[in-house]
Formats: sequence, C-alpha cells, structure tokens
Amino acid sequence: GMAAPKKSEAGCPRGLGDLLRAAWALATDRSDFRRNLIVNLGLFAAGVYIARNLSDIDLMAPQPVA
Amino acid sequence: MGNRAAAERRQLHNPGSFERLHRRCKDVFPQQIEGVKLVINKNLSHHFQAAHTIHMSSMSPHYHFNATYSGKRQAGPGENFPLLVGEMDSSGNLNAQCILLLAERIRAKAAFQTQQEKFQTWQFDSEYRGDSFTTTFTLGNPDIINESVIVVGHFLQSITQNLVLGGEMVYHRRPNEEGAILTLAGKYTTPQWIATLNIGRGGAHASYYHKANDQVQVGVEFEASTQSRETTFSFGYQLDIAQANMVFRGSLDSNWVVGGVLEKRLAPLPLTFALGAFMDHIKSKFQYGFSVTVC
Repeated sequence: GMAAPKKSEAGCPRGLGDLLRAAWALATDRSDFRRNLIVNLGLFAAGVYIARNLSDIDLMAPQPVA
Repeated sequence: MGNRAAAERRQLHNPGSFERLHRRCKDVFPQQIEGVKLVINKNLSHHFQAAHTIHMSSMSPHYHFNATYSGKRQAGPGENFPLLVGEMDSSGNLNAQCILLLAERIRAKAAFQTQQEKFQTWQFDSEYRGDSFTTTFTLGNPDIINESVIVVGHFLQSITQNLVLGGEMVYHRRPNEEGAILTLAGKYTTPQWIATLNIGRGGAHASYYHKANDQVQVGVEFEASTQSRETTFSFGYQLDIAQANMVFRGSLDSNWVVGGVLEKRLAPLPLTFALGAFMDHIKSKFQYGFSVTVC
C-alpha cells in the first residue's frame, strides 16, 4: 500500500506558506472591507501622531543664511 | 456633597448641537472649487443682507440669489433671531430656512428645498439648550398621505468640562418598511486638540483636530460605513499667515485625491481671491478653478 505521508512534509513550512500567501492576498486586495478598515485605521493613527508633533513649525521664521 | 455636585455642574457648559460635533475638524479641509465663481455680498441694512453668485463651470452656468434677514433678538455672539434665509438659482430651485427663538432655551427651525415646482425636503426641528445638555427633535419629510416620515432625536450631555457624551436615534418609516439606527457620540476637548467619535450599527466617524500654533491647524478624519462597505481616511491642514492676509488649506485622502485652496484677502479692497485645484489620481480627473468674493 501507499506509505503514509511523513508528518514533517505536511507540517509547519506548508502551513506557514499558506498563512503568508493569505496575508499577502489580504494586504493587496483593495476590495476587501476588513483590509481597508485596518489600513485606514492605521493611517488615522499615523495622522494623529503627525498632527500632535507639529508644534514647532513657524512659517514666518527667517530663512537660514547659507 | 449635593452642593459640590451642583457647583461642579455649574462649571459645565452647553455642548452645542449634534451637527457641529466634527465642525472644527471639517473647517480645516479645503472646499472644491471648479470653474469660475463671483460672489457679491451686500449689506442693505443691519438686519438684511443680499448676495449674488455667478458660477461658470463645465457642468452648467448658474446664478444664485441669496437673501438673509436677521432680527433684533440676540441669544449669543453672532446669533440673531429670527433668522430667515432664502436662496434661489436660475433654474427656479429654492432653498429656504427659518430659525426662531421661541424662548430663552428653545429654538425651532423649518427648512424647505424645492426642485422646479416639487418639494424635495421639508424638515422641522426643535432644540432645547440646557446648562449642560442639548436635546433636539427633528421631523424629516413627514407625509401623512403616503405614511412616511423620518424622525431624528439627538442628545448631548457635558460630563466634565472636557468630555461630552451623547447619541442619535434615527427612525424612518415608509410603506412596508421601517427601521431605526442608534449612534453613540463622544467628544473630548482641550485648548489644543479635539477628538470626536460617532459609532453605531451604520458605521463610525472619528475626527481629530489639532491646533499646532497660531499658524498651523491639522485635521484627521476616519469614516466607515457598514452599508456601503467602504472606509475613508482624510488628512487636512490649514496654514494661516496673518501678515500676508493669506490662508492655505490642503488635503489628501485614501481615495488618492489631493487638493489645495489658496485664499488671499486683497486689502485694502473688500475682495477675497481664492485659487483651488484637486487631483483624483485613480480616476485621472483634475479640477481647478478660482473665485472672487466681494464683501
């Protein structure tokens, strides 16, 4: 009869590859609602971080002399 | 203990209206300008103002006439009652509002919108402003014959000097269909930043406004809708250069739309000149225009 497949062949590497492929498919699927939600929430958090660190801008400060 | 609570309550302020929760953040973003627009404002008296708007664009040219009457009764700075506003365009479409101060804390509003000879919108609001809360009741397009109506209730309560919590209930009824949506709202205000969140079954809307200094203001918005399964992120900023009488507003969002509007007051003339452009990278659409406002 046929030999049973070795556990090591059907173990972690294949599972990890499938996981990575699924993660890549989610990250690049622009029509996926969950993916867009996560991306835009992350952008919102990044925007808030940028906004909170803008206090030292002075638009009328003299230009530095070379 | 009761006196302390009452004293603390006395320091709470009225939270304003529900519609203005995200107003500070939204004001930072530029308004799209397309084509050429000329606006002439004329104060005919202390109470009566008229405005003519001529808008020439690739869609269709339009002329709007706007008349505003504000009465003598003053509830606050810049708030005069009764307030009557009417705007009509060259196609015969009318937009009219009437806001009355029925009592010191009670306001009523009626708004109508017509397209040609048909009514599109007829809406009646009443608002009660307490020391630390605001409650509003709205009837939208009530139609007894067709048994349809939209009822909206808002409530906002100041919990502390910085924190406001509240909610909105929208009920709609049409023949063979009715439904209701509840949305919770919260707003945290400090002298330098304001964070606001609306969340409910229909989606979420979060905004963050930050005043970096006298020259720079930033707004960040996030919107998600469970009905249309769409989410949007927007980033906007406003640069005020008072010495140059100039304001620049820029924005970019997750739909790859980038835009900016530059406004310059041409002192000592009573003119404001605005130049704007918006680029939609996904649709490859570019919109630009300028406007002149005469005060």
